[in-house]
Amino acid sequence: MSWEFAVYGAVNVAFVALVSPLFMGVIRKIKALVQGRRGPPLLQGYYNLAKLMKKETVFSSNSSVIMEIAPYISISALFVAALLVPVIMIPEPAYGMGGIILFLYMLALAKFFTALAGLDAGSTFGGMGSSREMTISAIIEPIIVVVFAALAFALNTTNIYAMFAATAGLGVLSANVSLLPLVIALFIILITETSRVPVDNPETHLELTMVHEAMILEQGGRNLALMEVSHAVKQTLLMAFLINIFFPWGISQWPAGGWSHAAAGALAFLAKGVILAAVVGLFESSMAKMRLFRLPTLFMAAFFLSALTIVMQVFA
Amino acid sequence: MVMPEGLIKMLFTFVLLTAALIITRRDMLGIITTYAAQSLLISAVAGILYISGGSEMLLTIALLTLFSKVMLIPAIMKGIQRQIKIKRDVEFSYLSPTTALAASMVMLLAVYALLSGVLEEFALSRIFIFGAVAGISLMLMGMLVIFSRRQTITAIVGYLTMENGVVLMSLFLTELPLIIEVLVVVDLIGIMLLAAILSFGISSDMEEFHQKLVRPFSAGNNRRGSR
Repeated sequence: MSWEFAVYGAVNVAFVALVSPLFMGVIRKIKALVQGRRGPPLLQGYYNLAKLMKKETVFSSNSSVIMEIAPYISISALFVAALLVPVIMIPEPAYGMGGIILFLYMLALAKFFTALAGLDAGSTFGGMGSSREMTISAIIEPIIVVVFAALAFALNTTNIYAMFAATAGLGVLSANVSLLPLVIALFIILITETSRVPVDNPETHLELTMVHEAMILEQGGRNLALMEVSHAVKQTLLMAFLINIFFPWGISQWPAGGWSHAAAGALAFLAKGVILAAVVGLFESSMAKMRLFRLPTLFMAAFFLSALTIVMQVFA
Repeated sequence: MVMPEGLIKMLFTFVLLTAALIITRRDMLGIITTYAAQSLLISAVAGILYISGGSEMLLTIALLTLFSKVMLIPAIMKGIQRQIKIKRDVEFSYLSPTTALAASMVMLLAVYALLSGVLEEFALSRIFIFGAVAGISLMLMGMLVIFSRRQTITAIVGYLTMENGVVLMSLFLTELPLIIEVLVVVDLIGIMLLAAILSFGISSDMEEFHQKLVRPFSAGNNRRGSR
């Protein structure tokens, strides 16, 4: 492996891990402000993680080794996924990295082990959360595949590095105006995969409504911190798709761009990420949680938009 | 002037997107506003075709659409909606919004498969063929709205969407005189429906409306039966 790629990998993963709790904090802050509350500080996510890291990890007497290893597998899968999604600089495709299919599998692997850990403790809440998560996944995953297929079709590549390189430096919605519907489709996926209103409510611990929170209810201490980071990293990676394909200012090639461009890219991503997180917060605040049986309509809208993009690319 | 195909493609996408929104939305005001947006997009398509060197008829269509379907008809419908005090249309019959969206996509592909072979004989460019396909698909999506919604006012928006589909198709296949006839027929159906609803009570859904239509006869039969 070349040192340039190793540097890219280390910087990219570290940056994603570092900014992810901030984006979660921005969303929480915006939601609090909309509700007329002052809300927690923007850095509260970091304080919570630091506190959880110091705490003892307690396991249910019914749980198996799955409960212990699931957070580590989840965070590992998402860090590998973070290698595949450039956020501040785009390397040359190398070592088979950057495949969109691998990225989707990494997300699925993390989700699978999170659901398994939910079931493992044998509590009713965990089982219920895992069951709900898998039900929603069974509907949304084919649609995620279609949305990313539309993206690959429109940009003529299945490599994420090549996708971002194709749109980098060309301005808003640069490559093709017919990609516009995919902005909405990717936003729906971002909302669904990060368990946000109207699909799930990350603020609640009410048994009737929680999905993701129910799955990690039995986790504690360091393991809970890892689960929280996994969730935040997943959100940042999905946000990176929206940001770097549709609003690709600031991102540059690596190593051609050098450190100065990489720093500018980091600042640009941070700014755009904060704006997108604020939009997510406002979106969440303006919506009510949907009933489970109405969710397919929302997912079908994402399918319709991505299928329409493919049809436009092929026929028109 | 060269036709900006990228822009027209984007407008097609948004026209079909508005039709999908009309199929799925539940708030009446939102449905009417989406219809107005759809008409605005069709007016923009006509305007772009005129600027790209089309006939003055296209400019007339653009202005007429802008005045009638973007301003006048939505304003009237909003007035009616305020009068009848129905804010939401939540009931669906035959097709759920999810199924209707999936059916719309299948219809789009089917129309393309059927039409592309026929229209290629006219040596039209792909954008013109897709314009016709989008127009017919819009008509069919309007039809889906008509039979999947229970509130009469939403069904009217379905008729109007169908009419928008005819206009979109006629913009790209102006040689077909049949289009004009279809346009007039669809308009007449819409006007007839409106007139009938205004006579029998607009605040009813389709089933109540049919019952109201049948009630005088069934009441007569009952009276005869009781004698």
